[in-house]
Amino acid sequence: MASADKSAGPTPPGQSMSVGQHMLDKGAMMLQSLKPVKQFSHHVCSFAIYSHDMSRQIETHHYCSRLNQDFLQCAVYDSDDANARLLGVEYIISDRIFEDLPDEEKKLWHSHAYEVKLGLLISPRVPEMIAMPDLENLAKSYGKFWCTWQADRGDRVPLGAPALMMSPQGVRPGLVRPDLVHQRDAKYHVASDSYKTSRLEIPEPEMISPFADYWKQHGKGFAIDIVDTEMILRAPFP
Amino acid sequence: MSKNRKSKVPGEPTGSGTSLLETATAAIQAFAPVNKIHQHLCAFHFYSHDMTRQVEAHHFCGHQNEEMRQCLIYDSPEANARLIGLEYIVSENLFMTLPDEEKRLWHSHEYEVKSGLLVTPGIPGPIERRDLESVCKTYGKVYHFWQVDKGDCLPLGVPQLMMAFTRDGQVYKELVQDCGKRLGVDHEKERMNREYMKGPEHGIDPLANGGGKGLKTVLREVHLPNNQPPSATRVFV
Repeated sequence: MASADKSAGPTPPGQSMSVGQHMLDKGAMMLQSLKPVKQFSHHVCSFAIYSHDMSRQIETHHYCSRLNQDFLQCAVYDSDDANARLLGVEYIISDRIFEDLPDEEKKLWHSHAYEVKLGLLISPRVPEMIAMPDLENLAKSYGKFWCTWQADRGDRVPLGAPALMMSPQGVRPGLVRPDLVHQRDAKYHVASDSYKTSRLEIPEPEMISPFADYWKQHGKGFAIDIVDTEMILRAPFP
Repeated sequence: MSKNRKSKVPGEPTGSGTSLLETATAAIQAFAPVNKIHQHLCAFHFYSHDMTRQVEAHHFCGHQNEEMRQCLIYDSPEANARLIGLEYIVSENLFMTLPDEEKRLWHSHEYEVKSGLLVTPGIPGPIERRDLESVCKTYGKVYHFWQVDKGDCLPLGVPQLMMAFTRDGQVYKELVQDCGKRLGVDHEKERMNREYMKGPEHGIDPLANGGGKGLKTVLREVHLPNNQPPSATRVFV
């Protein structure tokens, strides 16, 4: 059963920014170099699915920065505007690097070929021809996405443990709800369907690991529990 | 104490074609959410199950509104820094609306700020302190996804809940001194300048900071609900 779209309101609870705080922020931006967050080179919009409940699907906005040819690190938001909520982090690695991971680790990763080739994944504002080399890279990559703010269930602040996310796939329950796609497409004046032709030739990994997209072969997802434990100390706490 | 050994991320150096392309996309696209990040804040976290594992954490923060910030956490302030986690910071008012079980996952900032451990490099003292007077009363929730202190060259395993320091004697002095040298910061001097600051109006909530106990994250496999079977037929992509 698809969950109703009960996304939280546009901003989390709390007073809006004071003039004083705005001035402090502007001042900081001028004086600090903020190098790591100047490295984002690409905005990608796609969809993700909760691994423990695949009826819950969300639109995602990845801001990606590249550490090397085989590795991207992405800040993931729920929209592309300045008030976007930081939903979590996704790491994207090439199939070469993915193959070397232990099987237990592979289970936490998902493939990208389907969402790229079906036009679910788009690079807003970038002409398809320019985006193509990036799309080719992405189609052969794997991602690991932890979502720390479940805004889709109405959380007005980030609650609970991180949730492992999965990617859209060509079989249920990995098929993205058409209404979500239409909504996204309308916003960006695109038609995901129309990309299928131009992306037909994009190569995918020869074989997608059976451990990635774990639910496909095993019918199971993953959850994170936070449990009590004896803290290893070096001084009294708290 | 574990040193942050900069293990190399596996992979080829970025190709010139990729670089060119990404310069182009960066020029064409808008990056509103990340352009809002306006502040660099350096502090230290430890693993919520193990105080002996401590990590230098460079936060890059933006305001959602006056009462909430969201931060990306990197292992250094350099261009090639690794994105290792994130933090949400909320005002005392917002914190008090959280369910009790949730409060345990959050940590107080009073000690970090007043002890001088938490700094905003490059910002002149008086301006820095104006902002930190607010931060002093806030609570934070941190997850790290990449255990760089273990020497992991990739973000392996499950997210780690992190905590912040709450009293003298917990943080490794060498960790702080090493950081201070690199950033040109005198943590001791900051401590003296911040003596006047006050923590949360209602005092530190006893449920925060794990309620004073250790917490750890554990992975569990879950059966998908009955109406979500994997399909036997595959749609050809």
